[in-house]
Amino acid sequence: MDIKLKVRRQNPEADDKPFWKDYAVEVPEYYTLLDALLKVREEVDETLALRCSCRSHICGSCGMRVNGHAALACKTKLSDIDQGAVTVEPMGNMPVIRDLVVDLEPFWNKLYSIKPYLQPATDPPEREYVVPNDTMFHLDGVVNCIMCGACVSDCESLSVNPIFIGPTALAKEYRFVADPRDAADRERLTQMNGPGGVWDCTHCFQCVEVCPKDVAPMERIMAMRRMMMDMGMEQNNGAKRANAFMDLVGSYGRLDETRLLMRSVSGLGELMSFSKVGLRALWKGKLPPLRPHRIAGAPAVRRILERARNQRPRRFKVHQAQEEGVRA
Amino acid sequence: MIYRHDVLVVGAGLAGMRAAIAAQQHGVDVAIVSKVYPVRSHSNAAQGGINASLGEGDTWESHAYDTVKGSDYLGDQDAIEILAREAPQAVLELEHWGVNFSRDETGHLGTRNFGGASQARTYFVADITGQALLQIMFEQLVHSGLKMYNEWFVTSLVLSENRVVGVLAIDMRSGQLHGITAKSVVIASGGMGRVFEPSTNALICTGDGMAIAYRAGAQLMDMEMMQYHPTTLKGSGALLTEGARGEGAYLLNAAGDRFMKTSAPNKMELASRDVVSRAEQTEINEGRGVDGCVFLDCRHLGRDLIMTKLGQIHELALELAGVDIVKDPVPVRPGFHYPMGGIKTDVFGETSVPGLYAAGEAACVSIHGGNRLGANSLLDTVIYGRRAGEAAAEAAANLAGEDVSDSAVRDEERRIQDLVDRPDRGQFAAKVRWDMGIGMVTNCGVFREQKGLEACGDLLHDLKERYTQVHVGDKGRVFNTNLLSVLELRNMLDLAEAVQVTALTRTESRGAHTRTDYPERDDEHWLRHILLEYRDEGPAVSYRPVTITQWEPQVRTY
Amino acid sequence: MKYAFYPGCVAKGGTPELYQAMTAVGEKLGLELHELTGAACTGAGVITERDPFAGDVVNSRTFAMAEQLGLPVMTICSTCTGVMMGVKGRVDAHDDYRERVNQLLADEDLHYSGQTDVKHLLWVLVEDLGLDKLKAMVVNPLQGMRLAPFYGCYVVRPSKDVDPLRLGRMGYLEKVIEALGAEPVEEYRGKDKCCGFPLLETNRRGSLALTGKRLAEARDAGADALVTPCPLCHLNLDGQQPETPEAGRVDAMPVMHLPQAIGLAIGITPERLGLHRHIIDTKKILAKVAVAG
Repeated sequence: MDIKLKVRRQNPEADDKPFWKDYAVEVPEYYTLLDALLKVREEVDETLALRCSCRSHICGSCGMRVNGHAALACKTKLSDIDQGAVTVEPMGNMPVIRDLVVDLEPFWNKLYSIKPYLQPATDPPEREYVVPNDTMFHLDGVVNCIMCGACVSDCESLSVNPIFIGPTALAKEYRFVADPRDAADRERLTQMNGPGGVWDCTHCFQCVEVCPKDVAPMERIMAMRRMMMDMGMEQNNGAKRANAFMDLVGSYGRLDETRLLMRSVSGLGELMSFSKVGLRALWKGKLPPLRPHRIAGAPAVRRILERARNQRPRRFKVHQAQEEGVRA
Repeated sequence: MIYRHDVLVVGAGLAGMRAAIAAQQHGVDVAIVSKVYPVRSHSNAAQGGINASLGEGDTWESHAYDTVKGSDYLGDQDAIEILAREAPQAVLELEHWGVNFSRDETGHLGTRNFGGASQARTYFVADITGQALLQIMFEQLVHSGLKMYNEWFVTSLVLSENRVVGVLAIDMRSGQLHGITAKSVVIASGGMGRVFEPSTNALICTGDGMAIAYRAGAQLMDMEMMQYHPTTLKGSGALLTEGARGEGAYLLNAAGDRFMKTSAPNKMELASRDVVSRAEQTEINEGRGVDGCVFLDCRHLGRDLIMTKLGQIHELALELAGVDIVKDPVPVRPGFHYPMGGIKTDVFGETSVPGLYAAGEAACVSIHGGNRLGANSLLDTVIYGRRAGEAAAEAAANLAGEDVSDSAVRDEERRIQDLVDRPDRGQFAAKVRWDMGIGMVTNCGVFREQKGLEACGDLLHDLKERYTQVHVGDKGRVFNTNLLSVLELRNMLDLAEAVQVTALTRTESRGAHTRTDYPERDDEHWLRHILLEYRDEGPAVSYRPVTITQWEPQVRTY
Repeated sequence: MKYAFYPGCVAKGGTPELYQAMTAVGEKLGLELHELTGAACTGAGVITERDPFAGDVVNSRTFAMAEQLGLPVMTICSTCTGVMMGVKGRVDAHDDYRERVNQLLADEDLHYSGQTDVKHLLWVLVEDLGLDKLKAMVVNPLQGMRLAPFYGCYVVRPSKDVDPLRLGRMGYLEKVIEALGAEPVEEYRGKDKCCGFPLLETNRRGSLALTGKRLAEARDAGADALVTPCPLCHLNLDGQQPETPEAGRVDAMPVMHLPQAIGLAIGITPERLGLHRHIIDTKKILAKVAVAG
């Protein structure tokens, strides 16, 4: 089949401005985008710079934006996408070094900043740690991360908030928090409870959508928020919002955005900053009634929330099990 | 610019990172240089697991014996004993560092079956074991805080009075060449799969470390022993783990027969890789295959087992071949996978060049001999990586050392500039590599014979001629992957020649080396290793006897 | 076409004009809407964040109510839709898990069998009503208007949940805009991106920066207005617009709810559609429609 590739290029030595270059190649049906790019590089234009290695979605080298979204070139089958013209760009949220090669140093530095290694409570046992298989199996989902940077490329929060630690590092953080052998979970979660941490995620599912390995970073971020709240880290707007939300839905069966906002933000100053918005809404007759409407089955909803809470599974931690064993 | 360290490790896969961590624990200043970021290394491709005799009733002797038998008695038994003895501790260390090995129902480490093993002693993380190990090793590397030169390409070793004093390397990002001085250098730069086409290996597996060590005077050993993996995907050639057969998958021919019953009636699909690949190739050659393939059948394993333990190969087969292994058998064939041979080292990783060490796939201790058992390669990386790192650090601690000279940097800059300045005579690196790869698989494949090997020698001679005409179209400095590919090609051509020469030399069949013109194993003449030394006029061949401690060669059946 | 209508909290709270517009548009399109008055909030992802099991039960309760009516659920909110589709992904496929969920529903004699279909109005228009039929009802084509589609994250992601059959649901909004006689701004980069709403309480500066970015992208693409199927996006794009970093520097960008855009084209008055209840004045749009009409 005939393929048209529209590649966004940039050569820092010749000219700092990015430009588009079109390539037309004929390739077999089963080709991936990487196969096609390599064909271009080997037969048409040797100056095209890109990273690639394994060709089977395990090394994470060939992350790039394909038709606007981050993907691994080696996992993008050309027959699956619109062949009219495939646009290929370097990943987002990262400076370009050359063509499709981006500067990953900030990416790695954020990863290093979370202390990305196991921190057990004590010296290791003589044999292996004895832990339930499902806890190990559960980690497979995060260990599957190949650090390609696709999630970081398309992260909405990062695009406006450079201090956000980002989905890759947070998924890695979860890998330790969820590991029964790691004992630094409180310390880790405390750090992630601050600026740039889990509450800076905007819950847009971009990372979940573009991840080529189904790591679902956002789901891990949500899980960490939950763990924090379960540990009692509730003095922040995010936790206050979650608790207020549960309470409002428990009381009325439905949400009341105004009350939610009032109970989520901290202090008078922050509340005042929203007052203009509220006044404008009031002017347009948009503020909800003073007494919220209550749905028919509100008490049943409250019962559901309470009973579900009692069914929440407890996390297994080796050091806690040991401590409790000693006490018992 | 000249950088300075006590120990420099070249390559940041499992063996390299393990070596670096071990060296640093000896209190010397260590750095690691890699042409890719550590987690991009090809160790992540190992899917199935890592062997150790940790289970009840298992012994290190049993593991060692299986390895000796798997090697077709070419493995050095002193080195294999070390491997098997240290395996349990190595696996536990990985577990303590955080590898999420699969557990049994009691919460203890769980095992799976693997080819050529008399017991289930393969520890695993689904079918992403290598990736899980690579990540944990990277975590420990980050923890160690040692200096990483990421995306630096080492172009050559620097010697002074026959001793290694450092390396020359291009910083890909700037395109600048730098010297890195080190009292000890550990080569752990992995395999050479790109010498062959097709191959399961990543595009980075170009044998750079092997080749620069070879040209610096280090001996290569067992280079005729090249492993073809029995289950590589039709088309792309991607690896489908032996773990699939470990979990019970069948191999079928076109008629739907489990053909392994002929060549390995006891172990069936779980015979060693050389045996299975030969059986497959025989089926294909004798017309019982389909489109040059046989079939891997996982259907009877059920969706749940496939999705939890073989999820990655499910994804690969679906994405790359359009086959859902839950529902259909997937076409597979033997594909180039792993060199048993490499830079010859002793059991401390020391090579024939003072100051130079090697470990992992780039090295040859020799523990794999004529055929490597599945799940012994990850083990090799962590055990011999650590041993090489320790030995390199000990040696460095007692040395004054000498700097890489500015003139060495200038000479190398000139050599590279000459490459870049070559006129365009229409020779592309990619085309030369392709012709080499096809020629190597055709003539140095599962089956070999004199005529083909000689033709291969002629081909390689021509390709070396063509190489002198290959030009670099990209004249830029920043991230010049075109220049890199030309430098890599030189490395691969030297290694291709090493394979061809040794394969022609060994006039018997042993392990992965099957000569149709010499079909029998010949212990009388060939219970010995072939060693090569680099000469401008062509490799110089010598021999070394196999070290035998307690297992005399026997007839090998599975 | 009958649906168990789930308006969601915001349509009856912060953006009452949406509920108002939907009622009018539903009548005219011939959609028979049975409002699920006893259904609870989906949790907008926040209940799930606090307690995933609770979120799954509360939404299964809604599905069970629709099942009692024997009707599919129709929503008018991207967020509600996404949450519900995520719950379906977990609850429908796993019998054991659904049994656990049903144990908590038994109190109210409710039971969810895992069959309830959930559709956003946007999907109903394309998949059930049909674009041809919609086109045929247009009496006041929105000619000359460049409308930028703004989906809202949860109606397009994760695609495995919200478009499991790969129907190409990401793309429907452009088709509907076209059917209404307007020109969809195809090159609008912000169309499937984040409005910033979920950050409003936790990082207001980031939230407003995202809102501003989406508006700026719309202006750069030459849009006259945005159209969104998500009232939460509307809260930020319209309600918070004067607070964004871009505000005041360039023209204000009106934001229409999807039913409002439909309503204008099928001949419902702007007053009935509640277009006067926006923070950003919609006169600019109305002027264009009047010219066209």
